[in-house]
Amino acid sequence: MRNTRMNGIGRWVHAAAIGAVLGYHSPWAQETDPLPSPAQLKRLSLEELMDVKVTLASRRAEELSRSASSIQVITRDEIRRAGIFTLPEALRLAANLQVARIDSRQWAITARGQNAALSDKLLVMIDGRSVYTPLYAGVYWDAQDMLIDNIDHIEVISGPGGALWGANAVNGVINIVTRPAEEMSGGFATAVGGTFVRDLEGVRAGGKLGKDVHFYAWSRRFRYYPSEFGDGTDAKDNWGFAQNGFRTDWTPASGDRLTVNGSIYQGRASMSPMLQTAPGQTALDGQSLQARWSRDFGEASGIEIQAYFDRTSRLIPSTFQEELRTWDFDFQHRFPLGGRNSITWGAGYRLSQDDVTNSAVLQFLPAYRDLRDLGFFVQDQIEVWPDKVRLTLGSRFQETEYSGFEAMPSARAAWNPTAGNTLWAAASRSVRAPSRIDVDFHLPPQAPGGIGIAGGPDMGSEYVNAYEAGWRTRIGASLSAALSSFYNAYSDLRVLELGPDAEAIVANGADQDIYGLEADLGWQAMPWWQFRFGATWMEKEFRYRSEAALRVPGYEGEDPDAQYSLRSSLDLPWGFTATAWVRYVSELRYPSVPYYATASLAVGWAWRNVEVSVSGQDLAERRHLEFRDGPVAREIPRSFAVRIGARF
Amino acid sequence: MAAARDRGPRPAPARPVPAWLPFLILLSALASGIRPARASGPVPSGPDREHRVKAVFLFNFAQFVEWPENVFAGPKDPLVIGVLGENPFDEFLDEVVKGESVREHPIVVMRFKRVEDIKECHVLFIGSGEAGRLDGDVAALKARKILTVGESRDFLAHGGMVLFVNEGGRVRFKINLDAVQEADLSVSSKLLRLADISGTAKE
Repeated sequence: MRNTRMNGIGRWVHAAAIGAVLGYHSPWAQETDPLPSPAQLKRLSLEELMDVKVTLASRRAEELSRSASSIQVITRDEIRRAGIFTLPEALRLAANLQVARIDSRQWAITARGQNAALSDKLLVMIDGRSVYTPLYAGVYWDAQDMLIDNIDHIEVISGPGGALWGANAVNGVINIVTRPAEEMSGGFATAVGGTFVRDLEGVRAGGKLGKDVHFYAWSRRFRYYPSEFGDGTDAKDNWGFAQNGFRTDWTPASGDRLTVNGSIYQGRASMSPMLQTAPGQTALDGQSLQARWSRDFGEASGIEIQAYFDRTSRLIPSTFQEELRTWDFDFQHRFPLGGRNSITWGAGYRLSQDDVTNSAVLQFLPAYRDLRDLGFFVQDQIEVWPDKVRLTLGSRFQETEYSGFEAMPSARAAWNPTAGNTLWAAASRSVRAPSRIDVDFHLPPQAPGGIGIAGGPDMGSEYVNAYEAGWRTRIGASLSAALSSFYNAYSDLRVLELGPDAEAIVANGADQDIYGLEADLGWQAMPWWQFRFGATWMEKEFRYRSEAALRVPGYEGEDPDAQYSLRSSLDLPWGFTATAWVRYVSELRYPSVPYYATASLAVGWAWRNVEVSVSGQDLAERRHLEFRDGPVAREIPRSFAVRIGARF
Repeated sequence: MAAARDRGPRPAPARPVPAWLPFLILLSALASGIRPARASGPVPSGPDREHRVKAVFLFNFAQFVEWPENVFAGPKDPLVIGVLGENPFDEFLDEVVKGESVREHPIVVMRFKRVEDIKECHVLFIGSGEAGRLDGDVAALKARKILTVGESRDFLAHGGMVLFVNEGGRVRFKINLDAVQEADLSVSSKLLRLADISGTAKE
């Protein structure tokens, strides 16, 4: 089987080689094209000159490069070069995240520690739409995806963002930004075949609907082969996902932008009988519709209004069924005040209607609940010494369903001693508000004589006081470096306490200190050769405060002490690109996962409007383990894939 | 402290250095010997894409703006495009204007360290390196008939005339029409149509 697949790949390589000899120039690799000559640019009319794309990074990305926080931006170009097809895989490119693949479908993702299958301290947004579930305050990664080519860039902030984004932005904020419709005219089709991702097909069509109105619609589906158990046997967790979406942007000359976008998805996943209480497939489906309107009143002022509806449902046979409907409304206004101050304030309201169908295996009581969340924030960015010293003070105030009123203040300072050098420091308080799994959850004893678990009626918020400092610099034209350090003091963390009736009850009963370092280095060694190195180091200390707490090692999440990532990206002659990527992740202790080091390699080739890539992921070993979410771990196999894409 | 987590004995590292590591090192060594063989020859160095486009815009501005004829001593005197302070264009701007002229005035590029050094000048680019000195720079040029072009966010607020902005990764420009008219310059309607205009003298 594998032999015939390799032959397939071999044929592609052969075809690519023939194309290479012909030496066509590629319209694809715009970012890597040779820089234009004076003569080329002078030939253009003023209008054409205004249409030349000069930077990948948006103005926002430039602002972020001066911001007093630990941020990494993943560009579409990086995603494409790495031979990546799904969103969680793309997040691995941000070295300030801890990303572990549990099986073919599930992921454990966090920043700055406390990783778990149900990680609950990371805020994830797609174009400003929060995709976390109030069921466990985390993200179902198998229901969040899109045509990967639709992504413009991904902003990954490690560290608290509660002052702006509210409860849940405790350890980090991820914002996935999709491309505006005016960039997407024409058609696009892509197909992938591989040994882990089994197949993927995607199409997109875009165009102009009228004056200043652009539109695109897309559709894609993919299937994954199963992951493997430690002995190499089939883990039977193959799955498939299909999604359709659209986006339309109205951009009149007045500087307004009205964006309406939506998507609808459906997935089916199998599971090994060993891990399932009852036979049958897990089914998920959902729909979302979002509208966002922004208006700029000038360089420093503007408003933004956003509303969305999101429905998602999930059925695990004979175990759990949930339907969640979310209604969200946000408003934001920024304006300058007295020359030196830039004020941003806003408010948001979210109603989540969570409807669970209980089973004998696990229950949420009450089965149905309306969760209301009302937030208000204000932030002042003060140019203490213009272009040199900036101070950002702000806080969000939030009324949450379970824990009531919370305040999340933050103070950040940035100093630019010279252009291209930023030293920053910050102190913030963030809150993880309880979710349904903390309060409403009931898990009856799994075996006679065992104990059950129950949500705690008195469970309140978890808190962190976070202190950060960092340095970002450019050395010459080719080297950039960012170093961030953090110290997070958590209090009131969740533990299980032994209650009466042989039941463990969720309660606030522990504190934790986590401190660490994050590094991000970029080096443009040659105009055609680029390196990116990333690393995180972490130390943790966990203290039970509650006498009654059950000592469950690893209950608070588990993270590697160190992880390293090094990527080399080459532009080769004749439209070829090659990206090699090595990663090292140190061991996890509870539950135990040995350290692993792995490598992937992707070779892309672009010819006219066609692009082909061949990639190998996790090449170091036949299979490797990244995370355990229970007694029977699944491992990630070495895999190969071929992708072809065309624009027309 | 007493309840600090019991870390237990660490499992011994089970695996030797992965076999692919030497292969990868070899691969990078090989790769370092590879040179791009694009038809265009060696990869050009010099300014980034953004400043290349801006350089050509400066050249275009010289064509779409009219100065009162008395700013030129003679009918064939050069039209000077100046760069104040840090020069982000390298030699690129010189290449752009090489051999070009506007209404018989040959275009030349001059670099000025400080605003006091500016004698003859018609279009002046004030880079982001001058951000802290904008007030002084612009005030010193106030009475001169020089089209000032900048890229610092608050350039227009400080009395600058044309501001480059990056919109969605593209170079666009804003014009402060009040400042332009105060300097007695006239901007062609074609340029105005493409610009984002501020100032009371809006069309």
